[in-house]
Amino acid sequence: MEYIISGQNQSIMEKLSILTDAAKYDVACTSSGVDRRGNDRPWDKGGGRGSGDGIPRIGAGEPGRVKGMGNCAAAGICHSFSSDGRCISLLKILLTNECIYDCKYCLNRRSNDVPRATFTPEEICTLTLEFYRRNYIEGLFLSSGIINSPTFTMELICRTIYLLRVKYRFNGYIHVKAIPGADAEVIRQTGFLVDRMSVNLELPTTEGLRNLAPNKHRKNILTPMRQIQNGITQNKDEITVYRHAPRFVAGGQSTQMIIGATQENDYQILSVAENLYRKFELKRVFYSAFVRVNDDKELPALPGGPPLLREHRLYQADWLLRFYGFEAGELLDERRPYFNVMLDPKEDWAVRHLEEFPVEINRASYEKLLRVPGVGVNSARRIVAARRSCNLSFADLKKMGVVLKRALYFITCNGRMMYPTKLEEDYIVRNLTDKQQRIRFGSDGMSYRQMTLFDDGMFQRDISPTEQFRTAVGQI
Amino acid sequence: MYIYRCEDTLESIFTAIYNVYEDKHSNDEVLLALDDEPRLFAVSLEVVADGVKVEKVVRTIRRQFGETDYRSLCLALASPDEEKAQAVYKTVAGGLVTKCKEGHLFDNLADDSVNKAFKLARSADREYCHLRGFVRFEELEGELMYSQIEPKNNVLTFLMPHFADRFPEENFIIHDIGRNLFGIHRADNSDINESAWCLVQGENMWPENMKISSNEIKYQELFKGFCSSIAIDSRRNAALQRNMLPLHFREFMTEFR
Repeated sequence: MEYIISGQNQSIMEKLSILTDAAKYDVACTSSGVDRRGNDRPWDKGGGRGSGDGIPRIGAGEPGRVKGMGNCAAAGICHSFSSDGRCISLLKILLTNECIYDCKYCLNRRSNDVPRATFTPEEICTLTLEFYRRNYIEGLFLSSGIINSPTFTMELICRTIYLLRVKYRFNGYIHVKAIPGADAEVIRQTGFLVDRMSVNLELPTTEGLRNLAPNKHRKNILTPMRQIQNGITQNKDEITVYRHAPRFVAGGQSTQMIIGATQENDYQILSVAENLYRKFELKRVFYSAFVRVNDDKELPALPGGPPLLREHRLYQADWLLRFYGFEAGELLDERRPYFNVMLDPKEDWAVRHLEEFPVEINRASYEKLLRVPGVGVNSARRIVAARRSCNLSFADLKKMGVVLKRALYFITCNGRMMYPTKLEEDYIVRNLTDKQQRIRFGSDGMSYRQMTLFDDGMFQRDISPTEQFRTAVGQI
Repeated sequence: MYIYRCEDTLESIFTAIYNVYEDKHSNDEVLLALDDEPRLFAVSLEVVADGVKVEKVVRTIRRQFGETDYRSLCLALASPDEEKAQAVYKTVAGGLVTKCKEGHLFDNLADDSVNKAFKLARSADREYCHLRGFVRFEELEGELMYSQIEPKNNVLTFLMPHFADRFPEENFIIHDIGRNLFGIHRADNSDINESAWCLVQGENMWPENMKISSNEIKYQELFKGFCSSIAIDSRRNAALQRNMLPLHFREFMTEFR
């Protein structure tokens, strides 16, 4: 397959720097969801699917045999952290940053004059393998700009991954983007070679997409998403019957949305995410605070930098949806469509539902415990396990990792609260938020306010690393 | 009061646990100590590691508490803490007395010994999980991969199976410089399943004049370049980076050198 590309004589260093730079706004870089031992090598058996590909297979022990390597851990492994604090798990690159599309928010859009580069499949394979055997990375994350057509691009991705899996016997984690609008068969073929696939939703609503990404259509994005979902379901059935049937996208699919480039409110975004989890059975939805890389009149100016607090609140709420049994409609609604600036979504829900509290630690159900601020999935499990052998006190809770600073207003142990406190909205809010913040937000603590779109720049509160860390590991 | 003096090894501590059982002492009047500190009115008993006893204890633990809890106990014993032997002993003894079911050994976190053993295991497990990602190999001449680590907990035993599974066809060495411990893996080309690894301990074993291979610098530079261009400048957050990747790991990591 030949394709014309600029910059044929670039060094690999230049290419890597250009194509990493172009891929860095993609946030879905995790290596989780698949547990595969090193000796479980589904692509190593030879024959089967795709014979007659022209790639010679070399038997074990023969000279010229490529070293096979790789395994996957279900929880994923972070290999490093970049200076923005985000995890580096996969070699996150684009196949090419040439693109026929002109999405307004994208650095690689057709109308931008940026240096362009394209990797050859061999270059990608070598880089992945050499990085992997030095334990720099957990696998490959491959996305691409659109060259010629979506189907053509998807074929290039598929060929590259095929080469990596079959010729180079790479058994590590691979995550690729399914290109919207590509032929269904190519997406299916690719699905059998990778661990996770994702289709970017880009913007939460159809109108937003129409305004900012004129070449992309909502329907085109949802079609491959549905196809992958059906493929996964069908594959599960196959595997129950034939244990060694090839796995299709074993790590599930994910997607991402850009936050703050268009007018949607938090409630809309969260509802979209909830729908994606329910109707498309996604593993993760990622939120990416909009970074203004292009000057365009359609794009909002962000004097306070990217809306990081909003992104942070969305991730918190996302965890609540997936693991804490909350629904989008409980956290936000049409009358209050934005998250609270000062309180996290769980605290915010709790102070508005004081009739549910206090919760008795020694008797309450697991589901009730999960809804207490300061009690996470781990501590709720520990409480349920530990109270079988004894009555728990506040000191015990502290040992188990419950954040009493936040939980104490909402719980009792053996019928007693930790301190005499009032079960009153304003009182609790005043105590949950710290004084400095209250002054900065122009509030005396007697009333607290919601975040609105216009606040974004003005009330850009810094998120403490502790908070961010908690969100990253899901302790809310 | 009976004090069992153990060495800082898994074998020695498991042997001590067996000895306590053999001597039929009640759980409250026994202390497993790693130090030689004398105590008043206490009988001091020396423990000599014994393979047969270790095997019996391991078998009982696995049968009673299951694989996950057995692994947690081993992790707790990998910790540098002085009181780990006592905490692990109390946990195991308590679990046997209450006849706890598989996977429920660490349920009673309100108990101080269980809590202590649980925390030691958790901290060792965290370090193991970190190092799975943060270990960096360098290619030396002759396609030998070499890595240095200096972990607080003795997690090399746990790291080796992971990397042996990951790189079955590579020769590699992980060197714990704090403990002078080497994990050595030999590639076995004839059969992937039979690649073997072993641990070797000894001072001044590593020759100083080992040369890195000709390609090594190139890939190190490429990776450093990758790490700097993947970061988004408008989101710079050194505090978060430090939280996720503590500074003491960085000494041996390619991208921070």
